Amino acid sequence: MSTLHTPHAGDDHAADDDVVSLLMRQHGDIRNLFDEVEQATGEERRDAFRRLVRLLAVHETAEEEVVHPYARRSLPGGEQVVEDRLAEERAAKETLAALDDTDTDDPKFMPQLLKLRRDVQEHARAEERYEFTHIRRGTDAAKLATMAKAVKAAEAMAPTRPHPGVESGAANMALGPVAALMDRTKDAVRKAMGKDG
Amino acid sequence: MTFNPLEQRGIPLDRQLRNWRELNVRPIDPDHCDPYTRCRIITMNGIEVEAILFSHQLARNTVDPEVKRQLASVRYIEAQQQKAVNWLLPGVSSVLETTIAYEQVAVDLTAWIARMEPDPYLKQAYQFGVLEDFDHLYRYANLYEMIEHRKAESIVDGLTEVMPGRPTKYHHRDPVDNVRDPYDKNATDPLSKLHALTVLSAEQQTMNFYMNTGPTYMEPIARQLYQEIGLIEEEHVTHYESLVDPGETWWEQLVNHEYNECYLYHSFMEQESDPRVKAIWELHLNMELEHLHIACDLMRRHDGREPQEVLAPQLPNVLTFEPNKQYLRELLDTQIDLTTLGAGYVREAHERFEAMQEQIHGGEQPPSERVMAQHDEMFGREYRVQSEGEHPDPSQREK
Repeated sequence: MSTLHTPHAGDDHAADDDVVSLLMRQHGDIRNLFDEVEQATGEERRDAFRRLVRLLAVHETAEEEVVHPYARRSLPGGEQVVEDRLAEERAAKETLAALDDTDTDDPKFMPQLLKLRRDVQEHARAEERYEFTHIRRGTDAAKLATMAKAVKAAEAMAPTRPHPGVESGAANMALGPVAALMDRTKDAVRKAMGKDG
Repeated sequence: MTFNPLEQRGIPLDRQLRNWRELNVRPIDPDHCDPYTRCRIITMNGIEVEAILFSHQLARNTVDPEVKRQLASVRYIEAQQQKAVNWLLPGVSSVLETTIAYEQVAVDLTAWIARMEPDPYLKQAYQFGVLEDFDHLYRYANLYEMIEHRKAESIVDGLTEVMPGRPTKYHHRDPVDNVRDPYDKNATDPLSKLHALTVLSAEQQTMNFYMNTGPTYMEPIARQLYQEIGLIEEEHVTHYESLVDPGETWWEQLVNHEYNECYLYHSFMEQESDPRVKAIWELHLNMELEHLHIACDLMRRHDGREPQEVLAPQLPNVLTFEPNKQYLRELLDTQIDLTTLGAGYVREAHERFEAMQEQIHGGEQPPSERVMAQHDEMFGREYRVQSEGEHPDPSQREK
């Protein structure tokens, strides 16, 4: 692997005026983190996994708060499309919760991680093909930009990349369990949407 | 390896039809597969597509209804083979991800064939073409990081380097300069016929893929890059198909197609790392042996000649997917500034080349240049994988 670093969505110099592009890049960031977890061992794997859990939590929450409600309201047949996505997300969250309680050195960890990876990847592509395509087709530029802003607000709430002082186990613990993180993200997104939406 | 397909019998044609359950193959895992397994799948899909399209053309030029029915029967099985092969690709992969795998095929397949080709004129044609596919890989890799935040190395996995080849903007030549001279069917090594058909099929599949999937993108730069590279694939198909002797009869061509399929399924069976995929190569080889026998009978009946007269006495060495990094670096060092003039190659930008360049670019940067500029705006750098050191050509090193 090369030493080139791909910054997370929101941290590159893209205009971020289109929520769909932003989320598609975030799908790639998640896939990259799965690679990192799989390739690392010991403490490095633990650290990469914490970052993966955080990004997944923030990403899925942002989608649930920003994108799915919009798709449900605005797209023809949106109700059913969103129902299908939410079912996938629930399944992924269950696997994630089980995995979150498993030590990364546990022999049970890797098979569960691979299952989660498959579920998450299928879910991401389904969103891109059955939901995002329609959002782009039927949404004006201003709304795409507003939604992008709200997703970025969620990101800022829970840093998903290593920052000085956040890599340590203690700091990771301070972020709390997945559920609490999702709640805090929800609040942040709602605040951003209230201001700009 | 002594394997003579003419002496082997396969599965009788009336036992080759598969039901839905048998066609429902489980796809490979894009994040954990052997990259060369994916390359073999893409190659064999291109070979099967060519087999189907060739058979359709032959049928349209056939008067005898009995022969038409025979062609239809074999072609239906080949259509099933194409489904079984191409459906090994996973639905979770994006078009761009698959595109990068297509370019890895173009690079490592063409480079290997250039290395093995005995005829110097044909060898030059492959050497010339591979440096263009190599540059396409680099451009698409940069687009991939922009749109999906993924690196091409997660697909090509250290087996193929990613850096500039002959810059894509210089691939747009006057179409008349894309037509090569053909080999002589009576004098050429039988291996050369297989090489030409294989590369031609792979490039044709790439052309079809880009011309159909390019417009599924919404990002303007992606749409434009597929359009530009799609037009170069048109040039490549012209380049490679003109190498084939047009004096081969339809039946001789049919035999060459079926023989080549035996050669490639046999080659890939020998080197396949995924046992499930290997079983498909083996099954298809056993089907192709029978298709070859049917084609040979048609050639005997219609041309009054023995197929042995045009085929190799035994299969050549297996066609192999393997890294070609040093070979490509030698070509980058010596052939990056070539273009074509008539059926030959020159270094200077001649008048016809300049005229085409001026018209097609219309005084602007083409998509293949703009994708790099947009990537740079986003990341402040390029995306490359130079595992063997800096670029051999100083003018192509990253600024």
